Amino acid sequence: MGPPLGSNQCRSLIGAPPCLPAVCGSVARNPGLQVGMAAFVATAGRLLGLRAAGTEGRWRRLRGAGLRRALLQPASATGDAAQRRQVAHFTFQPDPEPREYGQTQKMNLFQAITSALDNSLAKDPTAVIFGEDVAFGGVFRCTVGLRDKYGKDRVFNTPLCEQGIVGFGIGIAVTGATAIAEIQFADYIFPAFDQIVNEAAKYRYRSGDLFNCGSLTIRAPWGCVGHGALYHSQSPEAFFAHCPGIKVVVPRSPFQAKGLLLSCIEDKNPCIFFEPKILYRAAVEQVPVEPYNIPLSQAEVIQEGSDVTLVAWGTQVHVIREVASMAQEKLGVSCEVIDLKTILPWDMDTVCKSVIKTGRLLISHEAPLTGGFASEISSTVQEECFLNLEAPISRVCGYDTPFPHIFEPFYIPDKWKCYDALRKMINY
Amino acid sequence: MRKMLAAAVSRVLSGVTQKPASRVLVASCNYSKVATFPIKKCDLYRLEEGPPVTTVLTREDGLKYYRMMQTVRRMELKADQLYKQKFIRGFCHLCDGQEACCVGLEAGINPTDHVITSYRAHGLCYTRGLSVRSILSELTGRRGGCAKGKGGSMHMYVKNFYGGNGIVGAQGPLGAGVALACKYKGNKEVCLTLYGDGAANQGQIAEAHNMAALWKLPCVFICENNLYGMGTSVERAAASTDYYKRGHFLPGLKVDGMDVLGVREATKFAADYCRSGKGPIVMELQTYRYHGHSMSDPGISYRSREEVQNVRRKSDPIMLLKDRMVNSKLATIEELKEIDVEVRKEIEDAAQFATTDTEPPLEELGHHIYCDTPPFEVRGANQWIKFKSLG
Repeated sequence: MGPPLGSNQCRSLIGAPPCLPAVCGSVARNPGLQVGMAAFVATAGRLLGLRAAGTEGRWRRLRGAGLRRALLQPASATGDAAQRRQVAHFTFQPDPEPREYGQTQKMNLFQAITSALDNSLAKDPTAVIFGEDVAFGGVFRCTVGLRDKYGKDRVFNTPLCEQGIVGFGIGIAVTGATAIAEIQFADYIFPAFDQIVNEAAKYRYRSGDLFNCGSLTIRAPWGCVGHGALYHSQSPEAFFAHCPGIKVVVPRSPFQAKGLLLSCIEDKNPCIFFEPKILYRAAVEQVPVEPYNIPLSQAEVIQEGSDVTLVAWGTQVHVIREVASMAQEKLGVSCEVIDLKTILPWDMDTVCKSVIKTGRLLISHEAPLTGGFASEISSTVQEECFLNLEAPISRVCGYDTPFPHIFEPFYIPDKWKCYDALRKMINY
Repeated sequence: MRKMLAAAVSRVLSGVTQKPASRVLVASCNYSKVATFPIKKCDLYRLEEGPPVTTVLTREDGLKYYRMMQTVRRMELKADQLYKQKFIRGFCHLCDGQEACCVGLEAGINPTDHVITSYRAHGLCYTRGLSVRSILSELTGRRGGCAKGKGGSMHMYVKNFYGGNGIVGAQGPLGAGVALACKYKGNKEVCLTLYGDGAANQGQIAEAHNMAALWKLPCVFICENNLYGMGTSVERAAASTDYYKRGHFLPGLKVDGMDVLGVREATKFAADYCRSGKGPIVMELQTYRYHGHSMSDPGISYRSREEVQNVRRKSDPIMLLKDRMVNSKLATIEELKEIDVEVRKEIEDAAQFATTDTEPPLEELGHHIYCDTPPFEVRGANQWIKFKSLG
C-alpha cells in the first residue's frame, strides 16, 4: 500500500466540493479503501467537470509529490491533459471466431505472428528468420521461442545494418531458400530502400525469369503508436506502392495477420509485411493454431452498406468501423467498410464495385496526404466510376508534415475528422 | 601528526565558513593550483605516437569539469524521474556513466569546432552550450525547449552542434560533410562525428570513412563504445570489436572513456592531427552506460546487475575525478559537495520550469517544413482544417 491519502492531499485532489474532503478524511483512516477511494474520487472529479487548468496544475503537483502511481492510475482516465493522451484513438473490434480452420486459441497480434512464423519454419526446412534482436524474441516479442525450437542457424541476429539485412535476404532468396527478414521499425527501412526497389523488385524482370527472389518476405512494425514521434511512427507503404515487382500487405487483426503473413511467405514474389505496432498487444482474437492462408490482393468488405464506401487498412480500419456505426446512429447513413489489406497490387474491383453501388468514397490513412496511397485509389476510382460519383472523393489523412512528437493527437486522422468529412460528403 | 590534524581541522573550517582571511591561510597549505596526473597509454593504430601519458590539471579546470559532469549526471537522473512521472513521453536515451566522454571532448576542442552525434545526446547538448532548462523543457515538449518543443529527446541542436539524430549511423556522412565545409572555408575547425558501437556496423559509416580519407577532411570519427548496442553485446554484433581499427586505412586510437583527462588529451591530439591537414582519424572511447538503452529497457536482461555495480564502484567518471582532485589537494570534499548542492538546485529549478511551461501552440504543427516559400496551407486530415506553414 502506498502512503495514506491524507485529507489535505485529498482536498487538492478534487478541488472545491466541501463534502468530499470529509469523506476523504474518514477513508484515509481506513487503508483498505485507498485504491477504491481514488477511483471514486476520480469519477467524482470527472462528474464535477474538473478539467480546468487550476485542477490540472494541482494534479501535476500531486504527481510530483511522489505518490505511488498505483493510486493515481484509476484517476488517469479523467481530465489531465498530459494523461488524456494515454487513451488510444481507436477501439479494436475483433472478428468472430473462425470455424473453418480447426482449433483456435486466443492470441494477440504478436502471438499470431509468432504462430505464423512457427508454422513456416516447421513446414519449410529452408526457412530462416533474421534481423536485429530477433534471437531473444524481438523488441515486440514476435519471435519468442523460435530460436530454441528451430536452432540458432535458422533464427539469428544481424548487426545493425538494414541495407545489409535486405541485401543479404535477397541473396538467400535467390538461391531458393525462404528468407524472412525483420526490419526493427518501418522508419528504418530507408537504408534498405535501394535494395528493395532496385534489386528485389526487379530481379525476375531483368533476368527474364531466370532468377528471382520471390521467397523473400520483409516484416516491419508500422504506424503510429501514441508516443513514437518522428522515427517510430511512420507508415511508408506509399513509397513502396510506387514500385512494381513487390507486394505490400498490411493486416488489421491477429487472424488476418497470420493468414496474410503465411500467404506472403509462400507467395513467389518479394513481399513487405507491415505490422501495426499499436495493435501488437491491443488486438486480441481467436486465431487458428494450424496454418491457413488468406489470399493477397483481395480486399474485404467488412460491413455492407448503401450510402458511403469507407476504405482503410491496418489500424485505421477500426477507426472507420467506429465512424460507420456513428454515421448509422447519428445520421442514419449506411456505410460499406472495406479493408484493403494488400496495398500493392490492390484490389480495384472490390473498391470500384462498391463505389458504383454507393456513389461516395472516403479513404483514410495515417501517412501524409500528398502522395499517400489514398491519392492512387482516388485517381483510379474517378477514372473508372466518374459518372457514379455523387460527391468528390474524400481523403482523411495525416498532415503534410513529418510525424510530430508532441502534436500527435492532432496529427492523426481520428474518428472525429473522418466523421466530419463523411458528413460533409453526405450533404454535398 | 599534530600539524596534519591542524591542517585537517582548518580545512574543515575553511570549507564551512569561507571567510577571506581563513581562505588565505588555507590556500597556502591546503589547495594546490595545479597537479599532474598520469593517463593510461592509448592503443594506437597506424600512428607513430599518441597523446601524452601525463597531463596537467588546474584547479579551475578541475572544478569546471566536476561541475559539468555532475550537472550531466543529475540532469539525466532527473530526466529518468520525469519520464517515470510521465512528463516526458516517447523515447529517452540517457547517458549517465558516459559523462567523461562529453565533458572531455568539449575540453579538448574549441567552441568554434563542430560536433554531431546520435540520439544519446543530452550530455553533449549541455556541454555544447544548451542550458539544462532548455534541454529539460525540450524533453517535456514545451515552448522553452531548444527545438521549441517539436523535436524531443533525440533532436536538440545549438550553434556548432548538429544534434541529436534518430537513425543509427545517419550522422556519419553528415559529419564528413561538415568537415568538408570546414576544410573549404579554411578556418582550421574540425568536426567530431560520434557514433556508437552498434552504428559502427552500418554501411554509411564506412562510406563516411572513405570520403573523409579520400579528401583528407578534418573529421574526427569517435566511436563511443559502451559495450552494448541496445541489448546486443559487441562480441555478438561485430566481427572485429577493435573499433579504433575499423577505419582500416584511417589511423586510430583507443581511449579510456571513463577518465575525463584521458579523453581531453586524446581529443586535443586528434583535433590537432586533423587541423594540421593530415586527414581524418578514428577514436574509440571505451565507456559504459548505467541505464538501459532507453527508458523502456531495464538494462539488466542482457548484462548482470553486478556488472553495472562493478563499473559504478570502480570506474565511475565523477568518482575518479573527485578522488584525483581531493588526493592531490586541488579541492576539498566539502567544496565538491557544495558544487553538488548547487547543481541539484539548478536541476530542480530547470525541472520546475520544464514541467510548468506551456506547450507549443497548435499552429506550429505546420511551421518550418520549408523555408522561404510563401506560406502555403498544409493539407491533411480533412479539407477543412489546414495549418499555415511558415518558413
